[in-house]
Amino acid sequence: MSILKRFLNFKGLTGMTLVILVVLIAIFAPLIIPPEYATRMDMRARLVPPNLNHWLGTDQLGRDLFYRVMLGARTSINIATSAVLMSLIIGLPLGLISGYFGGRTDNILMRLVDTLLSFPALLLALTISAVLGPNLQNTILAIGIAFTPYLARLIRGEALRVSQMPYVEAARSAGATNTRLIVGHVLPNIMPVVIVQATISLAFAILAEAGLSFLGLGTQPPEASWGLMIQASRDYLDRAPWTALVPGTAVALTVLGLNMFGDVLRDVLDPRSRS
Amino acid sequence: MAYLIQRLLSMAVTLFLISIITFTVTNILPGDVAMMIMGTQSNPEALENLRQSLGLNDPWIFQYGRWIIGMLTGDWGNSLLFKMPIGPILLQKMTASGLIVLLSMTIALTLAVPLGVWSAVFKNRWQDTASSSASILGVSLPDFFWGIMLILLFARALGWFPSSGFVHPNEDFLLALKHAFLPSLALGLGLMAHLTRMTRATMTGILSQEFIRVARAKGLAEKTVVWQYGLANAVGPVMTVAGLQMGYLFGSIIVMESLFNYTGMGWLTYQALLNRDIPLIQATVFVIAAVVMLVNLLVDLLYPIFDPRIRLK
Repeated sequence: MSILKRFLNFKGLTGMTLVILVVLIAIFAPLIIPPEYATRMDMRARLVPPNLNHWLGTDQLGRDLFYRVMLGARTSINIATSAVLMSLIIGLPLGLISGYFGGRTDNILMRLVDTLLSFPALLLALTISAVLGPNLQNTILAIGIAFTPYLARLIRGEALRVSQMPYVEAARSAGATNTRLIVGHVLPNIMPVVIVQATISLAFAILAEAGLSFLGLGTQPPEASWGLMIQASRDYLDRAPWTALVPGTAVALTVLGLNMFGDVLRDVLDPRSRS
Repeated sequence: MAYLIQRLLSMAVTLFLISIITFTVTNILPGDVAMMIMGTQSNPEALENLRQSLGLNDPWIFQYGRWIIGMLTGDWGNSLLFKMPIGPILLQKMTASGLIVLLSMTIALTLAVPLGVWSAVFKNRWQDTASSSASILGVSLPDFFWGIMLILLFARALGWFPSSGFVHPNEDFLLALKHAFLPSLALGLGLMAHLTRMTRATMTGILSQEFIRVARAKGLAEKTVVWQYGLANAVGPVMTVAGLQMGYLFGSIIVMESLFNYTGMGWLTYQALLNRDIPLIQATVFVIAAVVMLVNLLVDLLYPIFDPRIRLK
């Protein structure tokens, strides 16, 4: 009960509402709105400002921006979630092993991670996407790989801290095996930090997908994606600023929600950050 | 001195690993340099001859060796896209990007440090809420979105700054600054948001420490306590984070320079990636990673100047 209460402030409520709203749209919009609505062109209604027929206006090909932004939510959420899951699947074991065993394993793994950290995440993602050829799967792969070193580094630090705790020492003297210690004692105690970081990584992944698609090395047309929509708006900024504002606002609200939710989640889950 | 040597050695190892990763990733590219030069419709026999003469049939360890020796001796090969030696192109583009990176870092720091300190001093009051809300909003907007908004406002509506292009500072310094300003501001705003949050967190921690209470108890003016006693202790951590943000900055310039048609490193990298100009991709990716690493090394080495308590071991 007291945990719930700590979510009930302005930041927590706003963050949660935004996140839930976007997730609901991502799940239900494609079930309610026929997918062809996002790609249906109407050459007589190009660059129409928002009105009763087209709530958020239309783009340069006469496609309805309301439908596009709604259906684009699934693309963005889908890519961001899959990419963060992927970086967790690789980064979590790496970080756990490195932090728990220490020594030479740790040295080698962290040297590799530090090297990868010298590559800006966006540069790494762009390069991977260009190398493999831009499409939905490769966008996920590119963002997932680019985010892995950050998560691995953080998890390694936490695992190192937790493995030196007296309760882990106690379980070890009671004869627990390494596997049991890692899975049963270290992992559950680093989960709060992992959950908070994953939430914030989701925000960064949404931004990364938008950036990649904006450069044409992410989601490919005619798929509706927020980054692609912003890219398409570039040439029509003077005549139709709403074509940029609509997808831009969608990205901003989603990332804002995730960031606020992540901040409050950290206050609730991570006792050290409580003030 | 021993510390410096140790760091330099470790840097050499990291550079070596960076080169291996760069080389490996770019060599997975489908289609090779020979195909790029002659086109996909070319005669297979001629293609094979060119491959042979370029050494593309050698084991990859030889190819890597040739590449890395070239990089170390200043022979960076030719760009397939620009049909020019890569070295001089990179040098010119680095100047362009250096201007943007410096300008955006300056904008970010001059705004973020006072704002973060202010936020920490007025913790949980409206001033803090206002500045925290502004910075969380700043972190949440994609920086190219800032870029588009700035173009709309300052280039299209007001006409104060050009919305695209690059002028070399040697030709016309003021015009060069004008061209660099909007992309730098867009990058600086995103960066500022991160740095404000960091400054606030660091200053909050410092202001609750004993020595601050002592300083207040002995009757020092609040201004002196916050800006001299407090901030002096925050400079180190804030500089470290600013250094770490270099990586983020060098990623973001790819988007921003493309948006503003500002022909620097980011723009060059993007062109190389789009056109699969393999030698150019290898060179740009390697140089960017190396620069990011060097900046962070520099911050680490300068740390004792900001914080004399830290002695390099």
